[in-house]
Amino acid sequence: MKSALKLLSMALVAALALTFAAYADEQFDIQSQIGPNPVLPDIQQYLFPPMRLATVVGWKNGETPTVAAGLKIEALATGLQHPRSLYTLPNGDVLVVESKAPPPQPITRPKDIVMRFIEKMVTSGGDTGPSNRITLLRYDPAGDKPPTRSVFLDHLHSPFGVALVGNNLYVANTDAIVRYPYHTGDQTISASGVTLTPLPGGPIDHHWTKSLTASRDGSLLYVGVGSNSNITENGIEAEENRAAIWEVDRASGRWRIFASGLRNPNGLTFEPESGALWTVVNERDELGPNLVPDYMTSVKDGGFYGWPYSYYGRHLDPRVKPQRPDLVDKAIVPDYALSSHVAPLGLVFDTVDGLPQKYRGGAFVGEHGSWDRPVFNGYRVVFVPFSGGRPNGKAEDVVTDFLDANGKARGRPVGLAIDKTGALLIADDVGNTVWRVSSASQ
Amino acid sequence: MSVGNPRSSMRIFRQPNHPMLVPIPIACFVGVLLTDLTYWWSADMMWANFSAWLVTVGVIVGVVAAIFGLIDFLGSRLIRAQSPAWPHAIGNVVVLILATLNMFVHSRDAWTSVVPWGVALSAATVLILLFTVRMGQAMVYRHGVRVAE
Repeated sequence: MKSALKLLSMALVAALALTFAAYADEQFDIQSQIGPNPVLPDIQQYLFPPMRLATVVGWKNGETPTVAAGLKIEALATGLQHPRSLYTLPNGDVLVVESKAPPPQPITRPKDIVMRFIEKMVTSGGDTGPSNRITLLRYDPAGDKPPTRSVFLDHLHSPFGVALVGNNLYVANTDAIVRYPYHTGDQTISASGVTLTPLPGGPIDHHWTKSLTASRDGSLLYVGVGSNSNITENGIEAEENRAAIWEVDRASGRWRIFASGLRNPNGLTFEPESGALWTVVNERDELGPNLVPDYMTSVKDGGFYGWPYSYYGRHLDPRVKPQRPDLVDKAIVPDYALSSHVAPLGLVFDTVDGLPQKYRGGAFVGEHGSWDRPVFNGYRVVFVPFSGGRPNGKAEDVVTDFLDANGKARGRPVGLAIDKTGALLIADDVGNTVWRVSSASQ
Repeated sequence: MSVGNPRSSMRIFRQPNHPMLVPIPIACFVGVLLTDLTYWWSADMMWANFSAWLVTVGVIVGVVAAIFGLIDFLGSRLIRAQSPAWPHAIGNVVVLILATLNMFVHSRDAWTSVVPWGVALSAATVLILLFTVRMGQAMVYRHGVRVAE
């Protein structure tokens, strides 16, 4: 009996030590995980992973995020219903994709009940009305008038990505790419859509946002299909064709896997100088506050980027069995780490004159913000300078203070776009706002 | 004997509640060991999910059973005087603490929710249970605790 008690007290001491180890991590230098060669600490597994959740308070009248020197910010549209991504049409109209998560996945273990409660706490901005639609904003950037709004498309199925090729507008719902006819100047589409390609949706639809972009010649579409779990806890069979970027032939709807091992790829877009496809990826949780760094990377045809078997190249994840050494051997190290758990969901390159010259050609990244670490990370839009088609320098904060001084979420940035005048647009899904960041000197 | 069998203080529906509930956590904790071993062998997440439910239900019902048991233990000097009562009580507190740790280990994702710490805690829980259950049985069947006359 004595030895059992001794064992027990040792276990308790170990549990406490782990808890304190989490707080020691507050000393970890986050900057060491921003850039091409992130520092990767040892894996930590917990009895209860350290979390910090930002409850939603929303923006009070007149409050805005803070912008870097040389920039100004204004709310382009408020009172939206969970706006998650943005798309600028050739005539300058802006599409705001308002979207809610699909029905929650079936509960398969007690943890699902707890996680569902946690998710509700951090993603709900109170009672948001009808969503799953696209709102069109038309505005005169020189004038002071608020934009005119119209419901462009309604009754969609958890939409996220949008791409226009000629007169065909493609919407990536969580379960299909749907095509609609569009003509310049349309403020609403009444035609019913035609499904081009079904995408993996429910009943389990863990990472449900389907990011979409078209190749330069318009013949191909690229769509991001996130994994169906954190780390295969729903079974490897649930991951078929997921954690991948699909390449879809626009004419026939036929598709193939373009790249895989990308846990939750979003912000698909082409880098303007190299013409390479880039994406931001949300990496795995519950290996510690500083593992695994989320990243942005160019995507190679046929490339494998590790998930679920390994991260950052060949760093094995002990939670995955059976392992696949054949895949791990060829795992590509991503190009640029953004630091851990920042949750990048938006990526756009600055391709239109309008913002100060230093931003030209570089990338903006919308970081939705962390939950899986004791100190918040993300909740901001950062800028990564590029030259020669590659990141060239440290990420810097561009738009911050989505959290208030008490760590409550006034908003959280998601999708980004550049409007026709070169201003940066930010979809804020819990602040229910679209922000417009422009040059202060204009 | 002038003194009757030790009586249970915790009775609802005129039944002693502690012995009514204990089969549930015992079955759950033995079940977790079996489903953990099966997951270890098969790597099929279904078995890890079974384990997570079993250990969670076992802990919840086990805590209720422990409270009822504690009421009996504190409520009757006669029960406390039984030689198996103390090791039974202390042993089962250890079982519940180990199972609670195990429940948190089982809340991890995939393989490390079971291997190595999950299955090790499940085995340790069952080993101590073998001893505490024997003590509990001795109290009822040999010392007549809670047995009506």
